[in-house]
Amino acid sequence: MRTSYMRAVKAESLKLKRSPVWLAFFALPLISAFFGTMNYKLNTGVLKSEWYSLWSQHTLFLCYFFMPALIGTYCSYLWRLEHTRHNWNSFLTTPLPVSVLYLGKLTQAVRVSILGNLWIFLLFYVCGRFAGIQSHFPEEALEWFLCGTLGAVVVCCVQLLLSLVIRSFAIPIGIALAGGILGLYMTTHGYGMHYPYSLYCLGMRANNPNMEIRISTLIVNSVGFMVVFAALSVFYLRRHEITAN
Amino acid sequence: MITLRTEFKKIKRKKIGLTMCALIGVQFAWLLWSGSRPNESERLQGWIEMLHSLPLISVIMMPTIMSVLASRLADVEHKGNTYKLLHTLRRPGALYHAKVACGTLFILAISIAQFLFIIALGYARGYAGHPDWNYYAAAFALNLACCLSLYLLQLLLSMLFFNQMIPLVAGLGGSMLGLILMYIKMYSFLPWGGFLSAAQAAMDWNPETRIVRFYYREFSPVELCAVAMIFVWIVGFYTAGRILFARKEA
Repeated sequence: MRTSYMRAVKAESLKLKRSPVWLAFFALPLISAFFGTMNYKLNTGVLKSEWYSLWSQHTLFLCYFFMPALIGTYCSYLWRLEHTRHNWNSFLTTPLPVSVLYLGKLTQAVRVSILGNLWIFLLFYVCGRFAGIQSHFPEEALEWFLCGTLGAVVVCCVQLLLSLVIRSFAIPIGIALAGGILGLYMTTHGYGMHYPYSLYCLGMRANNPNMEIRISTLIVNSVGFMVVFAALSVFYLRRHEITAN
Repeated sequence: MITLRTEFKKIKRKKIGLTMCALIGVQFAWLLWSGSRPNESERLQGWIEMLHSLPLISVIMMPTIMSVLASRLADVEHKGNTYKLLHTLRRPGALYHAKVACGTLFILAISIAQFLFIIALGYARGYAGHPDWNYYAAAFALNLACCLSLYLLQLLLSMLFFNQMIPLVAGLGGSMLGLILMYIKMYSFLPWGGFLSAAQAAMDWNPETRIVRFYYREFSPVELCAVAMIFVWIVGFYTAGRILFARKEA
């Protein structure tokens, strides 16, 4: 099983070789960090919580509206490779279980999401120092990172399912944007923990860095969503006759 | 006309209309949610506030919606690898015009739906008086122009790149840039800032009293230039698209 998994991951890595898809995860957080820091510097009279204020400026729009869509773009790209031409034939006749093939795709999506999150935190630290914040870097940042990553994995699972079922490249991305916007509504009405697109923002504390959340609920719900959406994807791959384009 | 009809035949069962309805439905849900129980003072300012809320929502969603629309229309050719075949039957220019016209009809339908919805919502909520038709007409025309400029940009990118990730990421980046710019200035010369430049209403928030006041904008010369820039982008993107598409190797 382990060898099969490694082979699937390696195959996916080869498919993505020299493809500049990671550039989006580099560029969007950079835009958010640049303008967020600028806005923070211009409003230090109002934004007095130093690192916490800067964190909201960096992540509020990025986490709610754009990160789910960005993850959706990556997931769409992963399945587009199979949706184009006759690649489904070679994909489904690979001598590996479909669950392992799916895990190979999921691993790639999770890997780029983790790297994207690390980049967001690196930018946060560097911009904070540039903005002249002298206090210690918040210790909670590690928790934000871990919880945010968990939420990002949930979004990866949802988007992989959507991009698998919907052959279009663009529609799942539109759904991700709409999902992120509805996530804002769900979070403000207290249903964020039960809605997959809100978990990322709640984990990252994008709305309010001082927000208290129940970590156990976040973990249980995230794992639950992951299992459900991954199982649905594997079920679809096994049962549905996918025809090559 | 034949090429345009063919364009609609090509997208039959592609559910582009349904996708657009779903995405615009999210905008409507947002408008319904924001200010669902207006008090007396909010009812008095309701019609002006609508003209402030709509550009804000559009700046977040429209670049991505336009990139989805353009990508769906262009992807038909990429997936079928039909450029070479189509170029032998029609001039590349005609094919490009058909794509532009097809997308424009979708945009027109979206804009009409948006404005009908906000007017119906305003009456349903019991906003005082009636909408100021001059401002609403200007907002409608400029909203349409902004969408068209973004669509032409996205169509250009979607036609040029086989990898649809590039235009979609450009759309997302544009949405983000437009949204962030909104917090810096009330106008922008970038294509994604058009909704912001064209907004007919602005907001004045008093931090002391925490009272929000909406008012119709009086455009300064620089702001008028930013509005004019929307039309410059339309002409620029259309010309660039026409030239680059005609030169594109099938």
